[in-house]
Amino acid sequence: MLVIQIIIAGLQTGLLYALMGAGFSLIFGATRVFHAAHGATFVVSGYAFVTCLKLGLPLWIGALAAMLFAVAFGLLLNALVYRPIQRDRGSFFTVFVAAFGSVIVVQSAMEFFFGREPQTVGSSMTRSVEVLPHLFVAPIFPIILVIAVISLGAVASFLRWTSVGLSLRALSDSPSLVEAFGLDPKKASNLAFGIGSALAAPPAILIAMTNGINPAAGAHVMLISLASTIVGGIGSLVGAVAGGILLGLAENGAIAVFDTQWSEAAGFVVLFAFIIIRPSGIFGARITR
Amino acid sequence: MITYFVSLALLAVIYGIAAIGLNILVGSAGIFSLAHAVFFGVGAYAAALMAIHVTPDILVCCGAAIGVTAVLSLCLAFPALRVRGEYFVVASLGLQMVAATVFNEAQGVTGGYGGLAGIPAPTIFGTFSLGTPTRLLLTSLGILLLGLGVVLAFMRHSFGRALGAIRDSEIAARAIGKNVELLKTTAVVLGCTYAGVAGALFAFDIAFINPESFTLDQSGLILTMVVLGGAGTLLGPLVGAVILTLLPALLTFLPMVPPTEIGTLQQFIYGLTMVLLMIFRPAGLVGRRSARR
Amino acid sequence: MMVHNPLSVENLTKRFGGMTAVENVSLELRPGIVTGLVGPNGAGKTTLFNLITGNLPADGGVVHINGRQATGLAPHVIARLGVARSFQDLRLFGGLTVRDNVLAATENSSWPWQGGGSRAARERQQATDAAIERVGLTHVAKIQASDISYAEAKFLSLARILATGAKIWLLDEPASGLDPSSSQRFVRLLKDATAQGVTICLIEHNLDLMKATADRLAFLEQGRLLALGSVDEILRDQELVAIYFGDKSNAA
Repeated sequence: MLVIQIIIAGLQTGLLYALMGAGFSLIFGATRVFHAAHGATFVVSGYAFVTCLKLGLPLWIGALAAMLFAVAFGLLLNALVYRPIQRDRGSFFTVFVAAFGSVIVVQSAMEFFFGREPQTVGSSMTRSVEVLPHLFVAPIFPIILVIAVISLGAVASFLRWTSVGLSLRALSDSPSLVEAFGLDPKKASNLAFGIGSALAAPPAILIAMTNGINPAAGAHVMLISLASTIVGGIGSLVGAVAGGILLGLAENGAIAVFDTQWSEAAGFVVLFAFIIIRPSGIFGARITR
Repeated sequence: MITYFVSLALLAVIYGIAAIGLNILVGSAGIFSLAHAVFFGVGAYAAALMAIHVTPDILVCCGAAIGVTAVLSLCLAFPALRVRGEYFVVASLGLQMVAATVFNEAQGVTGGYGGLAGIPAPTIFGTFSLGTPTRLLLTSLGILLLGLGVVLAFMRHSFGRALGAIRDSEIAARAIGKNVELLKTTAVVLGCTYAGVAGALFAFDIAFINPESFTLDQSGLILTMVVLGGAGTLLGPLVGAVILTLLPALLTFLPMVPPTEIGTLQQFIYGLTMVLLMIFRPAGLVGRRSARR
Repeated sequence: MMVHNPLSVENLTKRFGGMTAVENVSLELRPGIVTGLVGPNGAGKTTLFNLITGNLPADGGVVHINGRQATGLAPHVIARLGVARSFQDLRLFGGLTVRDNVLAATENSSWPWQGGGSRAARERQQATDAAIERVGLTHVAKIQASDISYAEAKFLSLARILATGAKIWLLDEPASGLDPSSSQRFVRLLKDATAQGVTICLIEHNLDLMKATADRLAFLEQGRLLALGSVDEILRDQELVAIYFGDKSNAA
C-alpha cells in the first residue's frame, strides 16, 4: 500500500513537474534559449490565480487569468530580455545570467507585494480521502491527471498535426533553417514562448490550490523542471514528461524512506547521477561536446 | 564608526576573494558554477572546527579550509568534465541544493540549523592575536593580494591560454596536446579553494556560522559580483564585490525603506542589475565595451 | 635497425549503428611524403582521421605511431606523440590572439606552469614567432583570432601545427576556399615541411591542389580503401574518377 501511496503522490507532483519541464523543453527546443526564468512564469501565473480568487472571482476567471498572465509574462520576457541579448550575439552565459536575474526580480517583487508566506486557496478537493485501507488520495489527483494529459496531448497534437507545429519541430532540429522555410523567426519564437509559458499555468493553479504559492516556489519548481528536462533528455518533450514523473517519484520516495528534509535533495541526486552517467538523458540525443 | 567601516571593508575583501575564485571558473574556464557558496561554507566550517577543537592559528585553519575544499571541489570537477554549459549549470545547482540540505542535517559536524558558535579569534605564530577587526582586515588584504598574484601568474601565462583554448574549442585544444581533464580539474580546484579561504576568514570575522550564509542566494550574490565587475577581467570581481557589499549598507541609510524590506529590495536590485547588465553591458563594468562572449 | 613508419593503421573499422563508416582500412604513411586521401563525400576520410587521433573509439584494427601501439589513446596523448591535426572547420581559439593561438601549441605541460625555466620559455617564444613568420601572419599577430580573414585563419591553423613541432600532420581540407596565390603559398609550405622530414596525410577536394601537393593517393569510398598508388595512376583510373564524381552507372 505504501508503495502505491508513494506512486500516487509521486505522480501527482511528477505530473506538475512534467508540465513545467515540457514547457521549458518546448521553448528551449524551438528557440535554443535556455529559458531559466520559466519558474518566474510559474510564480506570476500562480499569484494571478490566487489574487483573482481572493477578490472573490469565480474559479474559471482565475484560471483564465493564470493562463493569460503566464503567456503574457513569457512573451514579455522574450521581447524585453532575451531578444535584445540575442541581437548582440548573446552567449549562453549572458542569457542565463539575465534569466537568473529575472527570476530574482520576480521573486523579490512578489515578496514585496504578497509577503513570504505561501498563499493558498485550498478547497475540499485537496483533502485526502481514504479510498482503500491506508491509501489516501485527494480528489484533486485525478483532476491533475486529466489536466496534464489534456494539456500535453493538446500540445503534442498541435506539434504533430498542424503546419505551424511542424515548423516548430523543424526549428528545433535545425535552427538555421527557420528563414529557409519561410518562417518568421520572431513569430516562431513568440509561438514557442507562448505555448511553453501557457503550460506553466496548470501547475501554478494546482500548486496554488494545494501547497500554496510563495515567491520562492518558482526557483524550486524551475530547478526541478530543468532537472527533468535533462534527466528525460533535452529536446524531447516525452523525455521532459518522463523526467518530471521520475523526479516526482524520487522526491516522494525519499520522504518515505528518509526524512522530509531530503526530499528536495533526492531529485538533485538523481539529476547528478544522470549527468555523470548519462548526460543525454533517457530520451535525448547523444551529446556532442 | 571606524569599526563599522572596517567591518564593511573586511566583508568586501572576503567576498572579493570568493569572487576572484568564481571568476577563475566562470570567466577563465567557462565553467558556470552556481555552487560557489557551497565551498565558501565548507571552508568556513573546516576553519571553524579547526579553530574550536584544535588551534585558532590562522595559517592552520586556512590550510584546513584549503585542504577540505580542494578535495570536495572534485565533486564539482566531476560533472565539469562530463558536460558543459547549460547542463553543468544545472548540475552545480543540484550540488548547491543538496549541500544546503547536508549543512542543515549534519548536526554532528556543522551543528545543523543552529550552526557553530563561539569561534575563537584567529592567532598567528602562537600567541599573536589577529582578533581585532583591523588586524583581520589587514590579514585578509594580504591574502587577497596573494590570491591576485597567483591569478596573475597563472592566467597571464600558459594556464590562462590553455583555459581560453578549451573554452573556444575543446577538441582543438586536445589536438595540440592539452590534457583537458587535468586543466579543468585544476581550474575548479583552484577556484573553489579561493572560496574556501574566504569562508575561513568569514568564520573568524563573524565568529558564528550557520547554513543560511551558504545558500543559493549567496552563490547568486557572488555570481552577480563577478558579472557586474566583468567576468574574465582581473579586477572586475573585486569591483563587483566592493559595490555589492556596500549596497546593503547604503540601503539602510535610505529613509523610506523599512528595515524588514531591505533584504527584498537588495535582491530586487541584484536581479535587476543582472538583467540590465546582460542587455546593455555584458562585459561588466571593467570589461571591454564590445566583449565577444 | 628497423625503421618504423611514422604512422600506420591496420584493419581499422568503425561502425555507427547499422552503418559502417570505415571498413578494414589499412594504410601506411611514409616519411617525408604527402599521402593524399581522396574520395566522395561521406567516404569516411574525416572519420579515419578521428580514429587515428583518438577522437573516436575504433571498433576494430590498430594504429601504430613511430612503431608504438597507439590505438585508443586519448587525443592529447596522440598529439604528444607527434601527430598534429587540422580541422575542416578550423576550430581556432577565437578568444585568443593569433600569437597566443600559436604560443599555446608550444606549451606542452597541462599543469599551470611550464617546465624548463626561462631558457625553455624563450625557445617557445622564438618557435612561436618563427611559425607566425613562416606562414606570413606577423602583421596580425596581436589581433584576436576571431577577427582575422578566412585566408589568414587557414594559415593560422597551419602555424599552430608548425609550432607543435610535430612530424606527422593530418590535414583536413586545409586549403579549401583559398585564392590561387594563397593556395600556392600553402602548397609551398607543405612541400617545405616534407623536405624537412614531416609526414603529411592530406584530405583535399580540390584535385588540382592534390595533384600539386601529393606524392601518392589513397582512394576511399564508403569506408573502404579502394586504391592506393601514385597520383597519376589513381586519377587516370576511369572507374575511380566515376565514383568520385558520383557517376552511379559506372560504380561497382
